[in-house]
Amino acid sequence: MKKALILLSVFFLLTKLSQAQDFAYGTATAEEMDMTKYSKDTAAHAVVLQEFGESKINVGNDDNIKLIYTYHVKIKIFDKKGFDLGTVEIPVYNNSDADSYENAYGIKGITSYKDDNGLTRQIELEDKKIYPVKENKHWANYKFALSGLRDGCIIEYQYTIESPYFENFHSWQFQSDIPKISSEYDVHIPGFWNYNASIRGFLKLDKNTSEIERQCFSSGGAHCDCSFITYGMHNIPAFEEEDAMTAPKNFRSAINFELIEYMNPYTGAKVKVTKEWKDVDYQLKIDAYFGRQLKREGLLKDKIAPVIAGKTDDLDKAKAIYKYLQTWFKWNDYHGIYCVDGLAKALDSHSGSVADINFSLIDALKAGGLNADAVILSTRENGSVNSLYPVISDFNYVVAKVDIGTESYFLDATDPLLPFGVLPLKCLNGQGRVMSLDKPSYWVDLNTRQRQKSMYSMDFTLQENGKLKGTILISSIGYDAYLKRKAIKKFNSTDEYVEDLFSHLPKFKLLKSTINNADSLDKPIGEVYEVEISLYDKPGDTKFTFSPFFFNKITENPFKIIDRLYPVDWGMPSDQRNTLTVHLPKGYTVETPPQTLNIGMPNNGGMFLSSYEPLDNSFTFSNVIQFNKGIYSNVEYPYLKELYNKIIQTEKGEMVFSKK
Amino acid sequence: MKKILLLICLLITGSKIFAQQNYYSQPISKDLLYGANAVIRDEETSVEVKDLTDVVYRVKKVITILNKNGDNMAPIVVEHDKFKAVKSIKGEIYNAVGTRTGKFSESNFEDVSGYDGFSLFNDFKIKHYTPATEGYPYTIAYEIEYQFKQTLFFYDWEPARVSLAVENATYTFTCKPDFNIRYKEMHLPEKGQVTTNSSGQTVYSWRLTNIKAFRSEPFGEAHLPKVKISPQSFSYGGMKGAFTTWQDLGKWEYDHLLINRDQLSPETVTHVQEMVANITDPKEKAKKIYEYMQQRTHYVSVQIGIGGFQPFLAADVDQLNYGDCKGLVNYTHALLKAVGIESYYCVVTAGKTQKTSMMKDFPGMNQGNHAILCLPFKNDTTWAECTSQTIPFGYLGDFTDDRAVLAVTPDGGKLMHTPKYSADDNLRSRKAEFVIGDDGKLSGTMVTIFKGTDYENREKALTDNNTDRIKGLKSAYAINNVTFESVDFKEDKSPHPAITESLKLSASDFATTSDGRFNFPVNPVNRLNTTLREVRNRVSDVHIIRGYTIYDEITYTLPKGYHLDSKTIDINIDKPFGNYTATLTLNGNQLIYKRKSQLKQGTFSGDTYQDMVDFFQTVYDADSYNVSLVKNN
Repeated sequence: MKKALILLSVFFLLTKLSQAQDFAYGTATAEEMDMTKYSKDTAAHAVVLQEFGESKINVGNDDNIKLIYTYHVKIKIFDKKGFDLGTVEIPVYNNSDADSYENAYGIKGITSYKDDNGLTRQIELEDKKIYPVKENKHWANYKFALSGLRDGCIIEYQYTIESPYFENFHSWQFQSDIPKISSEYDVHIPGFWNYNASIRGFLKLDKNTSEIERQCFSSGGAHCDCSFITYGMHNIPAFEEEDAMTAPKNFRSAINFELIEYMNPYTGAKVKVTKEWKDVDYQLKIDAYFGRQLKREGLLKDKIAPVIAGKTDDLDKAKAIYKYLQTWFKWNDYHGIYCVDGLAKALDSHSGSVADINFSLIDALKAGGLNADAVILSTRENGSVNSLYPVISDFNYVVAKVDIGTESYFLDATDPLLPFGVLPLKCLNGQGRVMSLDKPSYWVDLNTRQRQKSMYSMDFTLQENGKLKGTILISSIGYDAYLKRKAIKKFNSTDEYVEDLFSHLPKFKLLKSTINNADSLDKPIGEVYEVEISLYDKPGDTKFTFSPFFFNKITENPFKIIDRLYPVDWGMPSDQRNTLTVHLPKGYTVETPPQTLNIGMPNNGGMFLSSYEPLDNSFTFSNVIQFNKGIYSNVEYPYLKELYNKIIQTEKGEMVFSKK
Repeated sequence: MKKILLLICLLITGSKIFAQQNYYSQPISKDLLYGANAVIRDEETSVEVKDLTDVVYRVKKVITILNKNGDNMAPIVVEHDKFKAVKSIKGEIYNAVGTRTGKFSESNFEDVSGYDGFSLFNDFKIKHYTPATEGYPYTIAYEIEYQFKQTLFFYDWEPARVSLAVENATYTFTCKPDFNIRYKEMHLPEKGQVTTNSSGQTVYSWRLTNIKAFRSEPFGEAHLPKVKISPQSFSYGGMKGAFTTWQDLGKWEYDHLLINRDQLSPETVTHVQEMVANITDPKEKAKKIYEYMQQRTHYVSVQIGIGGFQPFLAADVDQLNYGDCKGLVNYTHALLKAVGIESYYCVVTAGKTQKTSMMKDFPGMNQGNHAILCLPFKNDTTWAECTSQTIPFGYLGDFTDDRAVLAVTPDGGKLMHTPKYSADDNLRSRKAEFVIGDDGKLSGTMVTIFKGTDYENREKALTDNNTDRIKGLKSAYAINNVTFESVDFKEDKSPHPAITESLKLSASDFATTSDGRFNFPVNPVNRLNTTLREVRNRVSDVHIIRGYTIYDEITYTLPKGYHLDSKTIDINIDKPFGNYTATLTLNGNQLIYKRKSQLKQGTFSGDTYQDMVDFFQTVYDADSYNVSLVKNN
C-alpha cells in the first residue's frame, strides 16, 4: 500500500508542462490509463504515446566535449503481444582498442498499471536490475526488463548516452513496428560543428522549426551559438513489411545526420569530415584501413607470380587471380568497407572480412599488372545510399572492379562459388561508388549484366506399360547456375545431391545421371537425367490425366496485397523455359490438350507464354516465364500480380490421354 | 628450478599431440567419408577429479574439415563461467597437403557474452575463434584445458555427430578410489575398462574407432555413442551433497535450491486467499490461481551464478511480474501454497520434436532444461505450464507431453509421467459447404475444430488481430485468390481445450473453365504437400512420436447440368502406422468429398519406412486429385 501512488492531478500537471520540450517523467494520465485501443489502428498491440529525443554537443561528465543524446519514451501496452517492448537494450559503441564504450547513464524506467483493485500504481526499475553486457569488442548493451507489465499498462523509460564519436550523430526513427502518437527530436548543434540532415520515407514532418541559441556552447574559453532544430511527427502509422523488397529502413520514416566539418573549439583549426565526394575520396585514400591497404601489391606479388606465369591474356590472368583468392580465403562473415586487421594478418590467417578479402584481390590484380579499383556499396538488407551527397556510413560492402579492354567486371572473392564477373544478389542494390585512388570517384550501375535463367527440356516416350521413359535436361545459366552450384555443394558429392533430389520424387526412377560443368564456374551447369516415370498404375486404364507442369509448378501467388507502396525488387531479370516433348505409341491420342496462353506486361516488362504443337504421334508443349527487369515500380504491381494469377490458373490444367 | 622443470614438461606434452602422427597425408577410409562433412582423426578427452571442487578437464582434438558444409565444425567455442575456467588453449592448422599454415592460442580468441538466444542476462561467457586455411580438406589440431570448480555434473562424452565421422576417440575419467561414480554406456560398440594407475587412482576409459558419420533420417533417431557419468558425492557452489537415486537428488535439490523460496508478502497471501474464498473445489481454486499468475506475469530469463538451477524468490517474481520458467513455476507453487494446495516443482526436458524422459536408471543433474508444475490432486493429477500467458489450466501441449519428469518434493525426488496425447486426442475435424459459380468462383463456409496438440496450431489466432489472422489463414489455406469475408474463433478453455474456427470465404477463378469444362482441385484446404524422401540403407527404426487424426468433409454445390468426366475417388489404405480413406460421390449437383487421415504413435521396424514412403505418396496423389466436369449434352 505504501508504494501505491494514486495519480489524481495529472491533467493539470500535463497542461503546465506542455510548453517544455521533453514531457514530464513518470506521469500517466487517467485517459491514457483507461485507453483500451488506439483509435487510428485498432489492431495495434501497443502505441507510443510520446517519444522525445535530444542530441547536443557539450561538455560531458568527464570534462571532454561529447555528443550527448537523451531518449525518453512512454508506451501504452494494450495486450501481452506488446510485452516485448518492456524488454529494452541500449547499445553503446566502442571504436578503440581499449574498453572505452560510450557512456550511458541516467537509465530509469517506470511502469504504471492498475492493480487488482483498479487503483493506478507505479513500479520503478531498480538499478541493480540493469545488466551491462559486453557483446563484442565494438558493442555492449545495457539490458533491462521493466517490471509490473500487464494488459493496459504504460511503460516509460529514459537514458542518456555520451559519445566521443561525433560522426555517429544519432539518427531518429520516426516510424517503427508500432504506431506513434507523437515523436519529436530536438538537436542542438554548436556552430563549431556542421552536419547534413536527410529525411527518408513517405511521411512528412509535422513540425520543423529552427532557431539560434545564443552562446549555448562554451568550453575552455571557446564559445559559440547553436542551431536548435526541432523535427516532429504526429499520428505515425506502424510500418508493415511486404514481400520482395529491399531493406525496410529504405522506406521507414527517419532522419539521418552526417558530420560534414567541424572547427576545433580550442585551436580554431577547421577539419573537413565529409562534404563532397572529393573530400571522401581523399579521406579514404589516406585511411590506414582503406586506401593504404590498396597499395599493398607487394604482399601479393610473390603469391600470384606462379598463378599468372605464362598467361599473356589479361582476362585469363584476372580469372586466375580471382580463383586463387577465392580459394585462399574463408570469409569470416564480417561486412564493412574497412579492413579489420589489415591485409598482412588476413592473408596470413586465410580468414578475413569482406574488405580484407576484396582489397587483397584488388592488390593482387594490380600486382598482376591489371587495372583494378574498389567499389563501395550498400547491401540490400543494409538499405540504399544517399545519392545527393556522400554519407560514408551508408556503405557496408566493398567489391573489386577490374577493367579489361573496354569491359569492366565486378568481383567478390568472399564466395568460392561465384563465377568471374558475377556479384551475389545481396550486392545488387542500385549503384556503387568506384573509389579510384588516383582519379575522382564516380557512381556505377552494379547490375547491368546479371540475369538468371534456367531451361528444362524433357523428351519422353510413352511405353506400352504406362511408363514415360526419357531424358530430362536442366540447364542453369547465369545466377541460376551459381544457385544450383550452391545447392549441389551442400552435399559431399554430386552423387549425394542426385540421390537427395530423386528421393523427393518417388514416381521417378533414375536410370542414369550426369552433371556437366559442376566445377567450371563460368559455364552453365547442365544436369542430364535419364528417368522412367510411372504415369498410371493399372494396366487396364484407357484414359489417364497428366500434368505437364511437374517441375517448377507455381501454386501460390507471391503477391497478395491489394495496394503496394514499395517497388518489387528481385535484383535481376529472370527467364525460365520448359519444353516437353512426348512421343506416343500407336493408338494413343491426346483428348484434352493443355491450355495455352500468351500474355505480356506493358512495355515488354515480362510475359508468360505457353504453346502446344501436336505432331503425328507426338506433341511438344512449351512455356516461358520471363521478367525483363529486376525492379518493378508499385504502378506495375497489379500487372505482376495478374500475370502470376494467370500462370497459376494455366498450370492447374491437366492433359487427358486416351487409348483407342 | 621448479619453473624450468614445469616449462620443460609443458613443452614435451605440448609438442607431443601434434607431432605423433601425420594425419594430413594419411588418407581417410572411404567408409568414413560417406555422408561426412568432417572427420575426427583423434580426440582424447580426459577428466581428472582432484577433489570435489577441482576437476581438470582436457580435450585434445584433431579434426579434418572435408568441405564447406564442414566449416561449421571448425569454430572453437569455449564456455566459461563461475564454475568453469579456461586454463590454456593452443592449436595449429594444416592445409590439404599437410603443411602447417597457422598456429593459434588463447590470445586469438575473442571473449564475448554467452548469449543463449532467450535470456535478458546470463553470466556465462564464451571465447571463440575459427581457424581457417585455404581450400579443402584442412585439419585443425588443438588442445584445451579447463578447471571445473564443481562435481555435481560432468559433461556427457559424445564425440560423433550427424555428418561427423570418428576415426579414433578416447575418454578417460581419473579419480581417487574413494570417489564413487555411476556411469551409463549408450550405443557403444566396446565396453569401457576400469583400471588403477601407478598413483593408485581409479581410471575409467572408453574408446571409439571408425564410427561412420550419422545421417539424419526422417522419423528416425540417431543413436550416437555416448557415456554419461554421475558422481556419488559432490560439491556445488559451496554446497555439498550425495546421491545415487532420483529420490536423493530431488531431496538435495529441494533442501538446497528450493526450500523457503516460496515465501510471499502477507498482502499477496491475503489477496489470493480472498480471491478464492468463495470457491470450494480445490481444482477450481487452482485454476483461478493459475489464471491470476498468467495475467500478471510474463517470461523474462535472467541467469546468474547458481541461477541455472535455482528459481528467483517467489516474492521477487510477485514484485517484478516476470521470471523464467523456474521462477514462474516456483511463484505459482507459492501462490497455491498460500491457499493450501499442494504442488510439485518438476524438472523436464522440453521439446516438440523429441520426447526425452529423465533416465529412470540413471539419475543426474544434467538432464532437463525446463520446469513445469504438478498438482497431485487425488486421482486427478494435473499439470501446469507456467510460462504461457494464454493456454488453459491443466494443458501442457507438445512441448512437455508424454515423458518422465523429476518432481522435486519435500520428501525427495520422484519420477512422474506427463500426459500423453493419442492419435484420437490430436484431432482436427472440418466441414465445408462450398458453391462453385458458373464463372468458376468458389464461395462458402468452412468450420474446423482443433483439439489435443493441434489446439496449439490455432492458439495464436485467438489473440491475433484481424490483419494477422487473415495473414495466418492465407498461408494455412493457400487457395489462389482467396479472401475471407468473415473469420471467427471460439475457444473451449478446458484442460482438454478445443478451438473452433468458422470461416466464410471465396476465391475467384478457383475452377478453370474452358470448352464447357470445369477443373478444380477437390481438396484445396488439407492437401499433403510433401512426400517422404526415400532413404537408402536406413539404419534407425521408425519413430512416430505423436499421432493425429484429421477428418475433412467438403460438399460442393455445382452449376446445374454437369457430370463428372474423371473417375471418382474411392481409396482406403490401412497400415499399422496409419490409415487413409477418401471418397468422392456425386449426388445430383452435390459433390461430396470425404477424407480421413490418421498417423499413430509408435515405434516400427526400419523396414516399415518404405511402406510409409509409399503411403505418403499415395496420399499425396489422392490429395492432388482434380475434379473434371463436362456439360451434359
